[in-house]
Amino acid sequence: MGADPVAEMSGGRPIGVAIVDDHPVVVDGVRAWLATEPLLTVLATGDDPDEVLRAAPDADVVLLDLRLHGRMALGKLAELSAAGRRVVVYSEHTDPETMLAALDAGAVAFLAKHEGREHCVATVLAAASDRPYVPPALAGAMVGDPRPDRPVLSDKEREALLLWFQSMSKASVARRMRISEHTVKQYVDRARIKYTRAGRPAATKAALLARAIEDGLIRPEEIGIYRSQARYDRPTP
Amino acid sequence: MSAELDAAVRHRHAPATALTVAAPPAPVPGSDGGATSQAAGQVAAAVGWASDRGARIAAVAIALAWHCVIGLPAVLANRAELTAAGVVLTAWAVVAVVGVLAGVRLLRQTPLPAWPLAGLLLAVDATVFAAAGERALFTTANWVWGTLGWFFMLALWGRRVRGLIALLAAHSLIALVAVVGYGATTPADLARLAMYVYGTSSLPIAAYVGSAVVAVLARERATTSAATHAMAAERDAAERARRDRRDRLALVGGAAGAVLAELADGRADPTDPLVQRRAVLAAARLRRLIAESDDVPDPLLHELRAAADLAERNGLPIDLVTIGAPPPLPVQVRRQLADPLTATLADALEWARLTVVSGPDEVVVSLVTPDRNGPDATGPPEWDNGSHEGRVDRIYERDGEIRWVQTRWRR
Repeated sequence: MGADPVAEMSGGRPIGVAIVDDHPVVVDGVRAWLATEPLLTVLATGDDPDEVLRAAPDADVVLLDLRLHGRMALGKLAELSAAGRRVVVYSEHTDPETMLAALDAGAVAFLAKHEGREHCVATVLAAASDRPYVPPALAGAMVGDPRPDRPVLSDKEREALLLWFQSMSKASVARRMRISEHTVKQYVDRARIKYTRAGRPAATKAALLARAIEDGLIRPEEIGIYRSQARYDRPTP
Repeated sequence: MSAELDAAVRHRHAPATALTVAAPPAPVPGSDGGATSQAAGQVAAAVGWASDRGARIAAVAIALAWHCVIGLPAVLANRAELTAAGVVLTAWAVVAVVGVLAGVRLLRQTPLPAWPLAGLLLAVDATVFAAAGERALFTTANWVWGTLGWFFMLALWGRRVRGLIALLAAHSLIALVAVVGYGATTPADLARLAMYVYGTSSLPIAAYVGSAVVAVLARERATTSAATHAMAAERDAAERARRDRRDRLALVGGAAGAVLAELADGRADPTDPLVQRRAVLAAARLRRLIAESDDVPDPLLHELRAAADLAERNGLPIDLVTIGAPPPLPVQVRRQLADPLTATLADALEWARLTVVSGPDEVVVSLVTPDRNGPDATGPPEWDNGSHEGRVDRIYERDGEIRWVQTRWRR
């Protein structure tokens, strides 16, 4: 993986972030979290995705509260993702169904609001370079995915997700699995990449997949499997 | 109550009884409408069999009594009139043996295969008509007339009445062929044939239909009452869960409200570690409450929540995250999953994270707390993974950063 993926993505300029949330106190909190990372700059905030993006059309990453004015913004999320917007969903609704639905709709990442500053900053940085970041809550949702058409994960990928969800410490997972922290992250990220073929296609999913191949996270021949599986999504003639 | 009904009722209630140890009157967790109606169906089938039992005993008794008390003496008394008395007697013995066997199997709920049995009886029917001969055609020595209808009934018990009517029709056809074959076609003979056919068919059909109606009615009543009970139990459990959650929300809301009010009034100082700790505790408790989504309390989650609540009352902020609903588990497996964690939880400081990931064939429970310096106060909890339904593995480790207990059940 590149030593400085972020600089490589944004050509040296800071990463622009737009925050969409209907609670000003949350917006202020997230803004404070992001301010601790000099690479990030908040371009616009507000409670209406369209208005926020009009104010900041160049935003690299959109932090979207999934519940806006009492309604789940899954439709809006799918629309933005299809248009190639890197949306990081963050929500206090951390039931697995909601998290997986957000991934299916094209969210680059899902962050539980209580997961805190470090995960928030790490997620936004990864999203800006089309790289996966799986916070523990999302790992739990993926490992417990009960849907019959869920992506097929390897035993190691499942175990890494499960232990990461349980312990929230990649160092501890690495010790338990007797592998390096880097390998733990690879297993977790590979599992996440497999989810890019779940749900409807989106520009953001294609970008995640392309970057994963570029980084050597998955092999190009594995894409064949994804393509052939994707055929099942279309009605057979 | 008959043995089989008893067994079925035990079967229906056994899991629920086992599960009530931790969470009072909980129905089978995760049971949906399908499972409920399935269980109700089992009870109904058992009730159907039970109420049918009397009728089955009566049918077997009538068939065998008729065969022995009326059929046999008539054959023996009129041996001289029979064309081949030996064949008729042998056929009688065959039906007697088959009848006893079929009767015993029927009473034990494992009836003999219906159609081969019916075929055998029809073959005996034709043989006896042929062996009885013209002179004995309409006498009681031609025992198949009156007796065989009852054995048809035994052969087809529990099936639709159409089969019995078809068999009796075949029986009448054989009789007609015999009557015509022997040239007994005078109006008087044909009238006798019609009378015999009517007389020997009507009683078995009436008895057969009557018993079937009684069994169906009993089954329907049992289905209705079992479904009603299951629904009531589920409703009660859901109501209890709702009340429980509401009470805890009031408690949690009160705690969080108090901290917020004090902060707003300036009575509490946000930099005070004690105030921060109270806020952390209230937030953790609120999060746990929000995360509860099960309508019917699951005993395993109930136990873990109780343990988490207890630890929290002692001032430990604890996160409890559950993914998926555990399948119904025997008490022993549940204990093995929960006990090692609750023991370690009692010992935890600073914070704790409790997670449960459940699938139909696997449940993994984990507790992570910060590792402390020094030896374990309690050490790894006692462990015994005897042989049960599936296997529970436990991992306990400290790596200087965290203490980690994980229990995992696999089917």
